[in-house]
Amino acid sequence: MLPILSTVGMSFWQEKLSLKPWTDLLFDTPIFYRMFWNSVFYAFVIVILELCIAVPCAFGLVTAKMRGKKIIFMIYLILMMMPLQVTLLPNYIGLRDMGLINTRMGIILPMIFSAFGIIIMHQYMMNLDEAQIEAARLETSSVLKVLIYVVVAQMKTCIIATAVFIFAECFNMLEQPMLFLKDERLKNLTVFIMNASDYEGKVLFPASVIFLIPVLILYLYFNETLEKGIKL
Amino acid sequence: MNKKRGKMRLSWNRKCCICMLPAIMGTLIFSLIPFFRVLYYSMINNQFEKSFALISNYRRVLENEYFRIAFKNSIMLILICVPILVVLAIVISLILVFGKMKQKGIQISFILPMVIPTASIAVIWRQFFSDIENIFPVYLLFIWKNIGICIILLTAVFASVDKEIFEAAYMEGAGPMKIHLHMTLPISAPTIFFTVLLSIVNSFRIFKESYLYYGTNYPPDYGYTLQYYMNNHFLKLNYQNLSVSAVFNTLFAGMIIAVGLIFIRRFQR
Repeated sequence: MLPILSTVGMSFWQEKLSLKPWTDLLFDTPIFYRMFWNSVFYAFVIVILELCIAVPCAFGLVTAKMRGKKIIFMIYLILMMMPLQVTLLPNYIGLRDMGLINTRMGIILPMIFSAFGIIIMHQYMMNLDEAQIEAARLETSSVLKVLIYVVVAQMKTCIIATAVFIFAECFNMLEQPMLFLKDERLKNLTVFIMNASDYEGKVLFPASVIFLIPVLILYLYFNETLEKGIKL
Repeated sequence: MNKKRGKMRLSWNRKCCICMLPAIMGTLIFSLIPFFRVLYYSMINNQFEKSFALISNYRRVLENEYFRIAFKNSIMLILICVPILVVLAIVISLILVFGKMKQKGIQISFILPMVIPTASIAVIWRQFFSDIENIFPVYLLFIWKNIGICIILLTAVFASVDKEIFEAAYMEGAGPMKIHLHMTLPISAPTIFFTVLLSIVNSFRIFKESYLYYGTNYPPDYGYTLQYYMNNHFLKLNYQNLSVSAVFNTLFAGMIIAVGLIFIRRFQR
């Protein structure tokens, strides 16, 4: 808690107690708004798309009977543990060949296929209630319906917990926008804070405070869900 | 009509397999296939001539002074930080689970550092430690950031340890220290190993914290890790050096992960 409070404190300080850093940021640094919305936009889009990809994949990994399933799981496990700097280069080359460098898609696409969501969802789905799936299969033969009405309904808490973690991670990303984007207007708030000294005034601390807000809201709002989610 | 339906529909199992397809396609396109290009780049001398230069490429990178400093610092981080982190996490978890304190709410408060954006924290860290000229602020940042997940993992397994065996040991006069050292910890060994592995893996990721803390591409020598090396070559887009260090990093990380996973498997039996 202490670091957060002192960040808030520092944001009202410029030689003496003042609102100057805040006015500098909010009125004289228009690019800040753009980057803030970029951060929020990237995080939201990635959370939603990543869940749409990871939940079915984890479901497949748990229920399907096929050879090589273990190998796929191992590959994801290793991919999840790889340092970011290692995965960035293949991502960069893949994006470059598709001409997606310096576009929003270039940030979003590699992130939504990240192994983190798949592994976490897989761990949660290990204790999925199979009887319910069997029962649902008598009603419908559509995997999609089973997924939505049974799996997602059962896993709500876990999915929300995962979503919060993915959101926090995306909100926090620095290397991808720094390396994949050239256009300032596409970058996110982390880059802004990194380069805060380039802008007029002491905008660093107020920017950090605003940066904390979305994640703190999510954290406080989903506090109980998170607590349940991590205990499973 | 029934007949027609039967023909049109895929089997349930097939459909479950298809569920995995989008994710696997994405991973192939963005990670696995490009990785083979990385391997290829690490073997040629440059994009235009494309002649085979595996050995000289690797020698150039591995003999580079900065690469060596970076490698040494990365190892130091693992050797110093990870043990401190794990021991601290074990002690806190033991107190949380077996201590008399009310633990509700405390556990969740350790998640906060995990979700808080690093940028905001690194900024305040810089203020606190502005005159300390060694690596410890970064180590502290690492521990602060990662202790939450360790405690969550450990409290979960400690809480599931059967309480009855403690009572038996207690009857025979064993103190709490002894009980935990000889019973709780061995029982939870797989999870503890997993925590160690996870911390090592996370130590590869300290880059962002350290980068925001120093605020530069060229930190002092003691703070220069492998990730800085790669990042700086990324900015220069030197594909050969970059590919070599990516392959090297992959092997290094892959080795640790493989050994760790095998170790955990062993212990689970």
